[in-house]
This record gives sequence, C-alpha cells and structure tokens, in this order.
Amino acid sequence: MIKLFKKEIALVIHPTAYIFLALSMMLIIPNYPYYVIFFYTGLAIFFTCLNGRENNDILYSAMLPISKKEIVKSRFCLVILLEIMQILLAIPFAIIRQKMNVPSNQVGMEANIALFGFSLIMLGIFNMVFFLIYYKDVRKVGVAFVKSSIAVFLYIAIIETCVHIIPFFKNYLDTKDTFYISYKLLILGLGIIIYTIMTVITYKKAVKLFENYDI
Amino acid sequence: MNVVEVNNLCKIYPKFELKNVSFTLEKSKITGFIGRNGAGKTTTLKSLMNLIHKNSGEILFFGQDFENNEEIIKQKIGFVLGEVNYYSNKKLNTITRITKLFYENWDDDAYIHYMKMFNLDGSKTPSQLSAGMKVKYSIALALSHNAEILILDEPTSGLDPVSRDEVLDIFMNLSNSGVTILFSTHIITDLDKCADNIIYIKEGKIIADTNVNDFVNSYRILTFKTKPQEAIKPILIGLKPIKNGYSALIKTKDCQKFQSVSTVADLESIMIHIEREEF
Repeated sequence: MIKLFKKEIALVIHPTAYIFLALSMMLIIPNYPYYVIFFYTGLAIFFTCLNGRENNDILYSAMLPISKKEIVKSRFCLVILLEIMQILLAIPFAIIRQKMNVPSNQVGMEANIALFGFSLIMLGIFNMVFFLIYYKDVRKVGVAFVKSSIAVFLYIAIIETCVHIIPFFKNYLDTKDTFYISYKLLILGLGIIIYTIMTVITYKKAVKLFENYDI
Repeated sequence: MNVVEVNNLCKIYPKFELKNVSFTLEKSKITGFIGRNGAGKTTTLKSLMNLIHKNSGEILFFGQDFENNEEIIKQKIGFVLGEVNYYSNKKLNTITRITKLFYENWDDDAYIHYMKMFNLDGSKTPSQLSAGMKVKYSIALALSHNAEILILDEPTSGLDPVSRDEVLDIFMNLSNSGVTILFSTHIITDLDKCADNIIYIKEGKIIADTNVNDFVNSYRILTFKTKPQEAIKPILIGLKPIKNGYSALIKTKDCQKFQSVSTVADLESIMIHIEREEF
C-alpha cells in the first residue's frame, strides 16, 4: 500500500492539489461562502483523477503486481488525506477569523466548528457521487465531477437556506465558537460520523464496480 | 512444459466476440500472435492479464489460476502494450523509481544495460520520445524485473528496422535463457526471424496454433492465368487477382490434384490469402 501511495504522490497527484490545500487560508476573508473552500478539495480530486486518465494511470497500475482493490484503496487514501489536510489546515485560519475585529460573515455561515461538521458531510456527499460514477467507468471523470458538483452545490444551498430560515441554525450554529459550543461540537461529531460512513460505503462499492470494469 | 494454458476463453461484446480461444505457450519458446486489425489480439492479451473480464474459460499461468494468484503471477510477467503513453510529463527515471518498488526481482544492472542499448535517456519524459522509443522504454521496464514470460502487444510497430532487429535479437537471447515470449505483430517478417510457434486469430477464433515451419509448409501458392473453374474453387483459399491472372492458397495435401506447379508460400502470403474474401 505504501508503494502505491508513493506512486500516487510521485506520478498521479495534480500539482494544483497543493495550491487548493493552501486555499484553506481563505477562511480569513471577512465575507465569503466558506463551503467553497472545501469544494476546491473536490476540484483537486477531479484534476488528479483527470490527470490519471490522461496519463493511462489505471492501465499502468493494473499491470503492476497488485490487485484492483489496492488500486482503489490507494486512491481513496490519497483523497481522504487531501480532505483531512484541507480541514486541518483550515482550523488555524478559522480561529484567526473568529478573533478578527470585523462583523460576522455577511454571505454565509461563520467560520466555526459547525462549518467543519457540515463541510465534512459535504465531502462525504462529494466522495459518494464522484467515485460511484468514476469507478463504473474511469473514462467518465468529467461526468462524475459535474454530477458531484451539482450535489455539493445543492447541499450548500440547502444548508445556507437553513441558516436563513431555521432559527436554530441562525441563532445557535451561525455564531462564534464562544457561544453554544456544545451544539456545534454535536454537528462536528455528526459530520465526522456521516463522512466516515459515506466514504467507507463508497469505497466498498467502488471496489466492486472497479472489479467489473474492463480496462 | 506449458507455462501458459488458455482454455475456451470467451468474451462477448455487442459487436465482437472471442470464441472459445484456446492455446498453450511452451517454456522458452517465442510465439507470434497474428491476425488482422480487430481480429481479437489485444482483447485476448488483455484477458490474459485480467484487464478484461472473460465471460467464460480458464487461464492458467505455471499451472495456477490467474484470478486467484494474480499478484504472484504478475511478478513473473512482463507486459507491454504497444505505444501506450504513461505519465507523459514525468521523467523516465521517476517512472522507473516507482515501478521498481513493485517487483521483488528488479535488476538495476539489467535496466541500465537496456537503457544504454536502446539509447534511452532517463532524464527525458515520454512526451519527448518518439513512438519507437516509448516502446523501447516499455520493453526495458518489462525486461528489468526478470520476467519469466513476456507478453507484448505489437512491440515492434513504430520501430525502425535496426531497432526492430535489436528487439528481436533480445527476444531470441531471452528465449535461449529460458524466457517464454508471446508477441502480437502485423510485421510478418518479425515472425520469420524469431518465432518458434504461431497463433493465428481470425474474427475472434483461433484458426492455427502450431509450429511456424509446419504452418508454412502446410500451404502452397497456385497461380492461374484465367479465372479457375467453379469445380475447384472449394479447394482454393482466398482466390485473388494478381497482375497476370489469379493466385490462391491451397493446402499442401491438395497439391497433387493440380497439374500446374505450386510454389512455396510464405507467412505473409498465407495471411493475405486467408484473410482475403473470395474474388
């Protein structure tokens, strides 16, 4: 697995993935739809899979003395690493944003713990929609990205609408972390659980889909 | 001893079908896999490596079922798919550094030897190589992990005659040292030079799996100044017009049925006549 992971880093990962990780710092922008930052992670994943397709990565990997399951596993390891890194790198900037002496975010959720919980659910949705299409036919990486982007933006629209129309979201979740932290931690916990469940289910289904795929 | 055994391999596509493909590869022999474009050569070779799922049939390497022993068997196989371009903007050295991680028997000396022999520069990227050089690099990778079987899909297409000759010499040397080689090709002279056996696939069906000499000796070419009579047409294979008349292939055993003198057929003319629709 370590060998395959080295292959992913040396040969497959798209250079923009590192740039998109750096975009975690956009959390210090006073007014910004912060969920978009985590959508960039999806963009990095798309570019990486597209890069793989254009460079015959699947064919190269399939000829190595490894199983197809390991090919899927190494890609998921890379994806999970990118997603977790994006979250971890964003944490210090969320703290800075909270300490900035400027009004609260005017165009979306605050940069708080609940945002991370909701973003994890968003990444879980992205993984599920994207990889269940991608591993059915790795040539259709564009279709996978369009459909997963639609799903993600629908999700963002629903969450942001909830912030405006549901008092619990507005009064408890869309606030600085000094207030109602237990509710936000609950959302974060839910986010971690839902992200994990969705990603594990996706991985298992992706392995089966890829087993049946003719390269 | 058979190192590869394929029994009744079937793969069904909407517009194409591999029909009960069966053949064996003998240890240390070079086998040429021929057939016209779209006959099923690449599909068969990909099926061997489990890149394509067969509908039915059995594939054994060293007596072991491929699907259940994939990783062990792949360690012993070098597989080259023609001019396929991997990681076009990565340096060859980087691709090699990663590839060698996966092979227990990787031989750095052999790799350096083949890179020098093929005049390949590790600091270049595949995008900077000609089609022929890409094939050479793939072959160098396949040869550097001490594979016991080499399976190559059109390894010589795109190579200049000198490079082709070099590659075929390497095949013969490897064969002498015990490596089994299966390669598909359109260049029939490659087979004349180095193949021991031949597998001929037509429209998804194996029509010959035999020794090259036996195959060539089993046919003769007949020429006619005028179009031959209907009565003898069933014996003629691929009757076709030529400059001053017609030519057709016949089975050597049918020679005595004709008064005219038949000539020895070569592989290329056998293939052309077999593939030719009757005129």
